[in-house]
Amino acid sequence: MISISPKALATGSEPLIKTPLDLNNLSPEQVALDINKLNLYYGKKQALNNITMSIPKGQVTAFIGPSGCGKSTLLRCINRMNDLVDDCHISGEINLHGNNIYNKHVDVAELRRKVGMVFQRPNPFPKTIYENVVYGLRIMGENNRRRLDEAAEQSLRSAALWNEVKDRLHESALGLSGGQQQRLVIARAIAIQPEVLLLDEPTSALDPISTLVIEELINDLKKQFTVVIVTHNMQQAARVSDQTAFMYMGDLIEYSDTNTLFTTPLKKKTEDYITGRYG
Amino acid sequence: MDNLQIGRHISGQFNEDLERVINNVMHMGGLVEKQLTDALAAVDTTDVTLAKEVLSNDYQVNAYEVSIDDECTRIIAKRQPAAGDLRLIMAIVKTITDLERIGDEAEKIARVALENFSSSQQDLLVNLDNLGRLVLEFLQASLDAFTRMDCDAAIKIHQMDDKINREYEALIRQLMTYMMEDPRSIPQIMTVIWSARALERIGDRCQNICEYIIYFVKGKVVRHTTAEDMKKL
Repeated sequence: MISISPKALATGSEPLIKTPLDLNNLSPEQVALDINKLNLYYGKKQALNNITMSIPKGQVTAFIGPSGCGKSTLLRCINRMNDLVDDCHISGEINLHGNNIYNKHVDVAELRRKVGMVFQRPNPFPKTIYENVVYGLRIMGENNRRRLDEAAEQSLRSAALWNEVKDRLHESALGLSGGQQQRLVIARAIAIQPEVLLLDEPTSALDPISTLVIEELINDLKKQFTVVIVTHNMQQAARVSDQTAFMYMGDLIEYSDTNTLFTTPLKKKTEDYITGRYG
Repeated sequence: MDNLQIGRHISGQFNEDLERVINNVMHMGGLVEKQLTDALAAVDTTDVTLAKEVLSNDYQVNAYEVSIDDECTRIIAKRQPAAGDLRLIMAIVKTITDLERIGDEAEKIARVALENFSSSQQDLLVNLDNLGRLVLEFLQASLDAFTRMDCDAAIKIHQMDDKINREYEALIRQLMTYMMEDPRSIPQIMTVIWSARALERIGDRCQNICEYIIYFVKGKVVRHTTAEDMKKL
């Protein structure tokens, strides 16, 4: 490829664009999730066709595509939420640290502890803010008050909510605004220290300002977790993600670093979708 | 125009916005081409009226630049173009900057026609003729390639600048000889040199326009690369 080498910039100056990861040749340490020949059927209808991709660790990966393209289905496969759907069959593998999560012996509850999920609509429990955040830890058997307090503060701080709720931790979570509730749900998800955080259209029910707060949060979260996000908002994918995967009718059409995908996509289908043209 | 596929956006409003901008760029290109043609003709025939017309029309070129720039900013703010659309807007914003500068160079050339050359010195201006014709041809070809967003044509005509540079250097050598022969002619020859320089700069700007076309079509930055690298595209 012809381009000016980053060396051409004055020494000492930071390159304007970071060199993207080579998604086809990630070293095992760089990979958080390795999806291999994944097929999924709802009854006789195939919803995912032979998906193979590696999701890098400590980065934000976005899935975009029109409704019904399989992006949410793929996201839900990552913590086996599709197990709850009758008539759903899966073949292929999703490896988390080299272990196939679809292996018979995998404890699904333990898997979901490692792979947390946040949904489109905030779904706090009808409990206090504090109890919402420590819920997962309590279930895991943690009852030490001091440790629970610490975890609650840390999670709420990470979710950029602490300053807003620190004086009302024992009030009902249902009294929070939508944006705050969504951040509370994120705090609840990260309180149990998952490795991967799945976000299924986390801002589609929020106003633009709350959306920006969540996006800023996502950027902070990737320092600790691997984040996978499904979004209908292409500009959001462009803003928050490091990698973007474009899906169409169950196929993974194009998967590359976000900067490339939004400026020079390789496939015409991708170009048509992100520029808002008729397919 | 086929390359642009503008009409295929789901948003008809966006299609209209883009079409309007592109039409304006075409008009601006046509105007700049006319300005250069007139400037060269004015010098060639020492037509003072025509030269003054070129000078007074430059504001139109500037006005096009400002309004197209404005429209592009609005499109970016409202539509957040991506991929091909984004590259198109970037290519347009850069192209109009170069077109505006070509307009300025044409103005400089027109000013030569307003200077008092004695009839013996008039022959000096003939030297500009050949270079002027080459540059005009390059500008026309670049605008033509831009209209069609024809990448192959852009790569091909990109090389025309080498020919212009050779012609320019030959002309400068020739003018230097004149200066050595007759130092009294230096002021007039300097004027001719400035015009030659203006023409040479127009060549460079046409080359830029070709590079923007390649960027739009291929998504590759070919500025500051060698001709061999460009052929590999």
